[in-house]
Amino acid sequence: MDKGRQETARTARVRLQGSTLSCAGDWTVRNLAGLEAELQRMRWPEGPLRIDLAAVRRMDTGGAWALQRLLAELGRGQRSVEVRGLSPKAAGLLELVRGTGLEPGGVPHSRPRGLLEQLGRQSLARAYAGIGLLAFVGEMGAAWVRQIVQPRRIRWAQIAEALGEAGHRAVGIVGLLSFLLGIVIAYQGGVQLRQYGASLFVADLVGLSMVRELAPMITAIIVAGRTGSAYTAQIGTMQVTEEVDALRSLGISPLDLLVMPKLLALIVALPLLTVFADIMGILGGMVMSSVQLDIGFMTFIERLGVALTLDSFLVGVGKAPVFAAIIATIGCYQGFQVSGSAESVGRRTTVSVVQSILAVIVVDAAFSVAFSRLGI
Amino acid sequence: MSLPDAERSTTPMVEISDLTMRYGRRLIHGPLDLRVHRGEILAIVGGSGSGKTTLLREMALLQRPSSGTVRMFGADAAAMDEAQTLRARRHIGILFQNGALFGGMSVLENVGMPLREHTRLGRALIDEIACVKLALVGLTPDDGLLFPSQLSGGMRKRAALARAIAMDPDLLFLDEPTSGLDPLSADAFDELVLDLKAALDPTVVLVTHDLDTLWRVADRVVLLGEGRLLADGSMPELARSQDPAVLRFFQGTRGRAAQASA
Repeated sequence: MDKGRQETARTARVRLQGSTLSCAGDWTVRNLAGLEAELQRMRWPEGPLRIDLAAVRRMDTGGAWALQRLLAELGRGQRSVEVRGLSPKAAGLLELVRGTGLEPGGVPHSRPRGLLEQLGRQSLARAYAGIGLLAFVGEMGAAWVRQIVQPRRIRWAQIAEALGEAGHRAVGIVGLLSFLLGIVIAYQGGVQLRQYGASLFVADLVGLSMVRELAPMITAIIVAGRTGSAYTAQIGTMQVTEEVDALRSLGISPLDLLVMPKLLALIVALPLLTVFADIMGILGGMVMSSVQLDIGFMTFIERLGVALTLDSFLVGVGKAPVFAAIIATIGCYQGFQVSGSAESVGRRTTVSVVQSILAVIVVDAAFSVAFSRLGI
Repeated sequence: MSLPDAERSTTPMVEISDLTMRYGRRLIHGPLDLRVHRGEILAIVGGSGSGKTTLLREMALLQRPSSGTVRMFGADAAAMDEAQTLRARRHIGILFQNGALFGGMSVLENVGMPLREHTRLGRALIDEIACVKLALVGLTPDDGLLFPSQLSGGMRKRAALARAIAMDPDLLFLDEPTSGLDPLSADAFDELVLDLKAALDPTVVLVTHDLDTLWRVADRVVLLGEGRLLADGSMPELARSQDPAVLRFFQGTRGRAAQASA
């Protein structure tokens, strides 16, 4: 028997002849698909009806339920329905599904929420999230104070570990990206500057933009994506497996063990990474200038000495600890917000990265405005 | 699968021969031979770390053995292509130790998941069949609206069992069905397994170290220890055995208490 014919032989089907409904095929969940529509199209004759199941080869709970559903529907109009040809096993199954007392269409559904309710719930959720974050920042402040008062609470081992994870393992990617960014700026800027015969100023362009704005920002974004997400996922998974509760029960503050070392490590690591990004970005600009604009390394560095002031450097690096605090705080906070499931870990990790990057850029813009007001 | 009916009754549901599993150098279980016959309730028992769950996972096609063969419904699992494996899997239901319910879905959606994936039934019918399964494991349709994280341990096991029987599997694997349940819930769960067995007639392979479950539910018990099958027989047979390893396992205080109450 070829496969197609075998399929049709198995499909559950019905045929109405006079007042007899003959059923055939396999009444199993896998073969029921067409039956539902077929029964709905059926024009039932008036008067008593007979259902003949003798030709049904197999039946499972799904098929038994389909039959029970049919019987319930037909029985609704006080019609007498006679079932015959039911095998003992099928009769048992029919009895079983009947015993569950379930009505067709009796599946409860969660109430859909109205627009207003959704708006209200969303607003409340946002407000609570804001308050929660504020409370978390407060708790972190308290933890700071505790650690300063009792320096033995500081967990040096965890700090060193976090420093390695967030710092030196990120060196490669931060270096590569800033180098490429330097190349791009030198190339795009150089093309424009050459038209005015001001090619040399490419050193000003690359130096200032990298050191003041781009290096701190690109480093913070990489770290938010790489380390902030890891913080959320780690704490979130620990939350799901009740490890966070276990820490609490052992009298260890999760904040002390999980959050503070990460925060301190990131506050140290991010400025260092930023300095490295400064160097690699300028190096990229130098390489591009020498290749494309024929500006030698020495000339470039001399020009850089004039253009770059200590202020510019400090403005750039000074932003890094602030970015670090933002990333660590949001990453850890979102981790503690995880509840219940693996899906929640994923969702919170996404939120953590998006919020960190958003916050970093907003704060950076605020810094720019403030510095220009202050004339730095 | 498509075996002729005459052959169906005699072919073992699962047959393993020379099955060995090692992680690196550590031997989990040595060459094992075991047949699971159609319609029986087979219990695999053994101490913690004796490789029971690993054996179950190999039999359920979730883990490849290091060597040896698993024949599922008469076909060699190693020789099956992906489509054949998938077809074989649809005849298998597994209750995982911790339920393994999908956290992002309601219980009803969890139970309906295999139906949605493997059949082309309408949504209403799928939900109703899922509700029937919930009722069979003693949950109400309203429980179906809850999420797994809102369930108690016993309810989670029941919901997971409902998902395992969603497709009316021919072969049902239960990994520690009563672990983590209080004695009353564990008793009720044993009854549930027997009821389902009577109603749907699947072949059941269960891994447990709950001696009460062994006395009440199992038709045949195999004892796994030191990587080998130490004993194979019905529970009364094993209880009479004079083999020291078997005696150690079944004649502890708990073992005698379970026997007395059986």
